[in-house]
Amino acid sequence: MNKQKQITLQTRIAERYARIVDNKDEFSRSINQPLKQSFRINSLKGDTEKILESLRKYDNSISPTNWYENGFTTNLDNLGSSIEHFSGQIYIQELTSMMPALSIADVNESKRIIDCCAAPGSKTTQLAEMMKNKGEIIANDNKHSRLKALRGNLDRLGIVNTTVTLRDFRSFPNTEADIYLVDAPCSSEGTIRKKNTIKRNLKEKDYERFSKIQKGILNRACEMAERGDQIVYSTCTFAPEENEHVVNSILEEHSVKLNNINIKNLKMGKGIKNWKDEKFDSEIEKCRRVWPHHNDTDGFFIARIEKC
Amino acid sequence: MLVLLKKEKKEMLIEYCVERFGISKVIFENYQLYEGSKNKIYLIKELLELRFIPESSGLCIFRFDKTPKPTTNFLQLFSADISKNVLDIGEKDLINYCKGNDLQVHSGSNKIEPGFIAIRYNNSIVGCAHWNKITVRNQLPKSRRCKINYY
Ligand SMILES: C[S@@+](CC[C@H](N)C(=O)[O-])C[C@H]1O[C@@H](n2cnc3c(N)ncnc32)[C@H](O)[C@@H]1O
Repeated sequence: MNKQKQITLQTRIAERYARIVDNKDEFSRSINQPLKQSFRINSLKGDTEKILESLRKYDNSISPTNWYENGFTTNLDNLGSSIEHFSGQIYIQELTSMMPALSIADVNESKRIIDCCAAPGSKTTQLAEMMKNKGEIIANDNKHSRLKALRGNLDRLGIVNTTVTLRDFRSFPNTEADIYLVDAPCSSEGTIRKKNTIKRNLKEKDYERFSKIQKGILNRACEMAERGDQIVYSTCTFAPEENEHVVNSILEEHSVKLNNINIKNLKMGKGIKNWKDEKFDSEIEKCRRVWPHHNDTDGFFIARIEKC
Repeated sequence: MLVLLKKEKKEMLIEYCVERFGISKVIFENYQLYEGSKNKIYLIKELLELRFIPESSGLCIFRFDKTPKPTTNFLQLFSADISKNVLDIGEKDLINYCKGNDLQVHSGSNKIEPGFIAIRYNNSIVGCAHWNKITVRNQLPKSRRCKINYY
């Protein structure tokens, strides 16, 4: 991507969301900053302290996050070529990508989780670790080409509690679970701080196209869920068309409610009340927006839905 | 489609793990073993009953043609439980091993018996190899081979 195009993209995003962000100058400044590499320790492959000790032998720039004991950042940009990565003791993962799993209430060894859009498995492997490799996870994706990476990550991290399926989730056969994670395909605007992640200027019709797919997947999860089950919806975009609008439509069509999300020490913004001509249900404020300038991360959106 | 491993085969595999690597039998009590295509043996917590056939389940731990061949993923996962037929390697060998190269006979090789062995670096098992008294043959699958820059 040439410099001129990139500037246009950052500017367009800063302008598009100026009205809904708390500090537009800070937001604009932060999306122009490169992002540090972050990783997660996989305690299924060793003792956390020992893994950290080994990493620190050659990397003195590692810093812990204050909101997740397994989440770290580093100034190195290629920990992917470390022995800890090779042996599955670490997983290179954006900090924002670690948040959905943390926002689910009581992930534990007795649960069954369906990760509806799972490849390449960042959140599946995190959940498996949180469940101590017990319980059951179904990791689904509809793209055969992405299953190789998913399988590779599950193997490298030593995951034994996961079954991989290849389905368009919109037509996934009825399957009981306690938790459904819908980490939906999206316009990925929130990853703008990484090089070349957004390939082109998005048009309004792109947001609509994603929104339609997202509604289809989330709708299927809500259909399958039973009373008391949790459904977590997340995207890595700022676009309300793919976030609040999608959740709002689910609130209208299903017997569901929204629950609060709190991750200790992590600053998150509320879901917005309206966008363009659309006014959302007041409950939508319980959704959480992760703005890049709040915690020096990507942008992200999370909603915690409960079937009633 | 995965099928539950027959009792005799399961016992034979567990016995192999105990004899060859000193892995305690108890470890297997928490898991089920299944056989998939190409003689692959999978370690699973619980096989799910789905309305359709999944792509895969659990972790492939062995390939069992005539004799059992452990996978790197298996040896890595049970790193802390492996006490026999382990070859400790240094930095130079580690880089070579991760690239997929065979290793030269090593001073520690008198502790290992011919057959499959676990390669260990800095107290962690990094993978599987085969020792034939002459060469330590690399058993890393192609997909896992890579250049290690930090160790
Ligand atoms: C944001 S990515 C998921 C990232 C993944 N959760 C992780 O943490 O590694 C969205 C995924 O949804 C998949 N996807 C797109 N449409 C889908 C559908 N209709 N059903 C199931 N998966 C779908 C894509 O192939 C893609 O892998």
